[in-house]
Amino acid sequence: MVSGSAPRSSVLGFYLHVPFCVQRCHYCSFNTAPLEAGQMDPYLRALHGELDVLGGLSWAGDVTIATVFLGGGTPSLLEPEALAAILDDLRARWRLADGAEVTVECNPESVTRERLARYRAAGVTRVSLGVQALDDTVLKTLGRRHDARGARAAFDAAREAGYDDVSVDVMYGLPGLAVDAWVSDVERVLAWDPDHVSAYALTLDGGSPWGAGGVENLPAEDDVVAQYWALTRAAAARGFEHYEISNYARPGHRARHNLGYWRAGEYLAAGPGACGFVGDVRYGNIKPLTRWRAAVDAGTLPVETSERLTPRQRLAERLILGLRTSDGVPAAWLAERTASEPALARRIDEWERAGHLVADGARVRLMESGFILSDALFVDLL
Amino acid sequence: MSLARNRNFSIVAHIDHGKSTLADRLLALTGTMDAKKAVDQVLDSMDLERERGITIKAHTVRLLYRAKDGHEYTLNLIDTPGHVDFSYEVSRALAACEGAVLIVDAAQGIEAQTLANFYLASDAGLTIIPVINKIDLPAADVDGTREQIHDTLDLDGTEALAISAKHGTGVPEVLEAIVARIPPPSGDADAPLKALVFDSFYDSYQGVVIYVRLKDGHVRPGTKILLMSNGRTYDVAQVGVFSPDMRPVAELSAGQVGYITAAIKRVADAKVGDTITEAARPTAEPFPGYRDAKPMVFAGLYPIEDTDYEALRDALEKLRLNDPAFSYEPETSLALGYGFRCGFLGMLHMEIVQERLEREFNLSLIVTAPSVQYRVLTTAGEVLDIDNPSRLPTPDRIEQMEEPYVHSSVYVPTEFMTAIYKLAQEKRGEHKSLEYIGKRVHIRFDFPLSEIVVDFYDKLKSISKGYASFDYDFADFRASELVKLDILLNGDPVDALSTIVHRDKAYERGKALVEKLRGVIPRQLYEVAIQAAIGSRVIARETVKAMGKNVTAKCYGGDITRKRKLLEKQKEGKKRMKQVGRVEVPQEAFLTVLKT
Repeated sequence: MVSGSAPRSSVLGFYLHVPFCVQRCHYCSFNTAPLEAGQMDPYLRALHGELDVLGGLSWAGDVTIATVFLGGGTPSLLEPEALAAILDDLRARWRLADGAEVTVECNPESVTRERLARYRAAGVTRVSLGVQALDDTVLKTLGRRHDARGARAAFDAAREAGYDDVSVDVMYGLPGLAVDAWVSDVERVLAWDPDHVSAYALTLDGGSPWGAGGVENLPAEDDVVAQYWALTRAAAARGFEHYEISNYARPGHRARHNLGYWRAGEYLAAGPGACGFVGDVRYGNIKPLTRWRAAVDAGTLPVETSERLTPRQRLAERLILGLRTSDGVPAAWLAERTASEPALARRIDEWERAGHLVADGARVRLMESGFILSDALFVDLL
Repeated sequence: MSLARNRNFSIVAHIDHGKSTLADRLLALTGTMDAKKAVDQVLDSMDLERERGITIKAHTVRLLYRAKDGHEYTLNLIDTPGHVDFSYEVSRALAACEGAVLIVDAAQGIEAQTLANFYLASDAGLTIIPVINKIDLPAADVDGTREQIHDTLDLDGTEALAISAKHGTGVPEVLEAIVARIPPPSGDADAPLKALVFDSFYDSYQGVVIYVRLKDGHVRPGTKILLMSNGRTYDVAQVGVFSPDMRPVAELSAGQVGYITAAIKRVADAKVGDTITEAARPTAEPFPGYRDAKPMVFAGLYPIEDTDYEALRDALEKLRLNDPAFSYEPETSLALGYGFRCGFLGMLHMEIVQERLEREFNLSLIVTAPSVQYRVLTTAGEVLDIDNPSRLPTPDRIEQMEEPYVHSSVYVPTEFMTAIYKLAQEKRGEHKSLEYIGKRVHIRFDFPLSEIVVDFYDKLKSISKGYASFDYDFADFRASELVKLDILLNGDPVDALSTIVHRDKAYERGKALVEKLRGVIPRQLYEVAIQAAIGSRVIARETVKAMGKNVTAKCYGGDITRKRKLLEKQKEGKKRMKQVGRVEVPQEAFLTVLKT
């Protein structure tokens, strides 16, 4: 299904998955693998192999890659040479747009100024730093391997390496995280003067150690809500735009790759468990490392699941993803969706009356008070 | 054809005392079907039930048995439903027999339904063969059970057969006893046809298949028959026996058990208990005891999606084809829109109907709190039957209200007596009598039906560690101090959540109800006030706070599909919500009223 589907757009994103982690964080349910000796080289060989298969698709020469995102796992476990080889391989097979955004997710303990500088020399333009928290006790609870001092050092290293697009990931709603402690964490992080902040409320996922085994000491819902508002206020005071439910950026520093997701744009994917979207087809790669490798070695696309979206699903996705952003969606899209369901139109009126949603003629968007309730609306929009 | 080697019998027992196990053994032992096939047979009919939306059980089976005297006997085993909701149906099935095997569990002893079944069988004049089952159990007390049979049932305990249906021990002796002790049917094959309808089901090819026991006369294809309760006549298409599948025969005659088809369209036209006779030469008098099955419990059934109304009506019509004991008529609710008021024999019956509607017809339903039928005398002198609380006239128009009462029997080991009396008091029970039977007591109470329809049996079981047993039948209507308890969401009464309760319990119930509702109504965009009120007086209030947070933070690595699937799952759950005004009320909310 994937190989038979051609992209609608000529400009695509590219997601590369690096599954390795030194250890799994307690909240994480993503596709990761422990980094064991001798695993990295076969992985890299297979990744190049997958790029080879993808690059051989008939339309590969017609598209331009505008953004690249190396996610994980822990992509910063890649040696600079390995990262450079991947990006070189990419450039050899696709046209990379001028000024393409190339992001690497980094864990603070695995980066140094030198490593980041060499990443930059290889073509990386943006660093996303997994700080998560600044309280060392909380960091330990999360299963993170860095402390607050290490996080700050990593941030400074990125700046010293010359990056002018540095994003910091933080989490709230964490076990043992009091509202005032969060407020001071936020102030400290913002004082570093990052270009972008991603802030995720802890979600207990079945696939994570906490989701499976449970976790104590979670803050009350009201406290989580208070933490959300503390961040939105502090970020606004510092001139950040709250441009997506969980993302804040200084003007001109929005994450372009992620904006592609939210605009229901297309993207290619490589690596175990990586997800792509081409034409009307959303697909996911085989997750277990060895099976993924075997599929690539056999010269096939290592796709495990794929689904061709119906026009109705496409519309729902465009609404749900678009409403995650402060740009919202064209009012016409929403009108198309509500045309067949008057009850839904009434629900949306309620959201508007409650002040969670604004319709200003051409576009419809959620307010910050709507962001934090958004799933309740998205369920109806499906 | 001689009837001397025919025996018509039934097996009756308290639930779980081993009725089906014994029936399977008898089938296997007489070669009617082997044990493996017996299991398959049951499974097959359940499939059929699903496919055709009809109820087919092994209602009656013809066994051929060569007795020790060397003769071959035809034994008709007539199965009976096993639940108090269906005691009328049981009584009609027993009326088709000359004898009954009464099973008593050797470890449990006599229970309420042992006794209820015993009385039904004995009222029908049947020869009763007591059988003590499960003698293989370590806790089996055969001698004690013999004593109980003697003391409680006034039967000769020494004549009870001790068996283990599970292992087959003593089962051949049961067959011998059926032949030796139960009299052959008597009847006059030359007299006008007189046949008792003891069950029926709808088959989409043949129409209604009627289970009959012929008392007098004979019937064959072509006979013009008359159903005496409604005066309808039909031409018989086929007659036959169950062995165990339907097998056509040339004729059924006095004393025999079998089936008749006559292109009858609705089960309601051939009701259990009716008498079939010849149109040309009717019998002088029908079987006594016929009555219309009367619904005891009423509830509103509403589609969650308004657009499913037509589908629900069609489904109810189909179900009713095969189940005349169930009634329905259209009603409207301000909160729920268009639906149906349905009457059921009891809660089990209601659950069966609801489950079949949801499973076989793929409908999502809201079932409102069940209600009994109240009798209201208005100030204007009218008598109204009220089975829907929202139809209750305003208090100023009510002269007097009456509610249905039942006579009930509770059997329980003496150690649980105190707990039983406490429960009875909570449920407004009136104590009638107390009798000691060995280590157990038999207590009779009269209860308002409304107090026992819902969860009484479960409570009884739990406070007695499962040892108490219970049986009841309708007594009469009695004057009672009743009020309508309304539930308001954000100030608007939700008619479907209204209940009629005794004045003394209204406050406590209102409080419990709003607390429970607070737990099941999810947080919404707005705060939701839940109030309980009698008339304009609010007696309890709880608040569901506005939703604080409902957000998925992150779409990891562009895995949009996963996010969408999570939302789809939530949406699936939301399909069971009904929009009542501005409030989304889940199906459980209506169940809460039922369970509080």
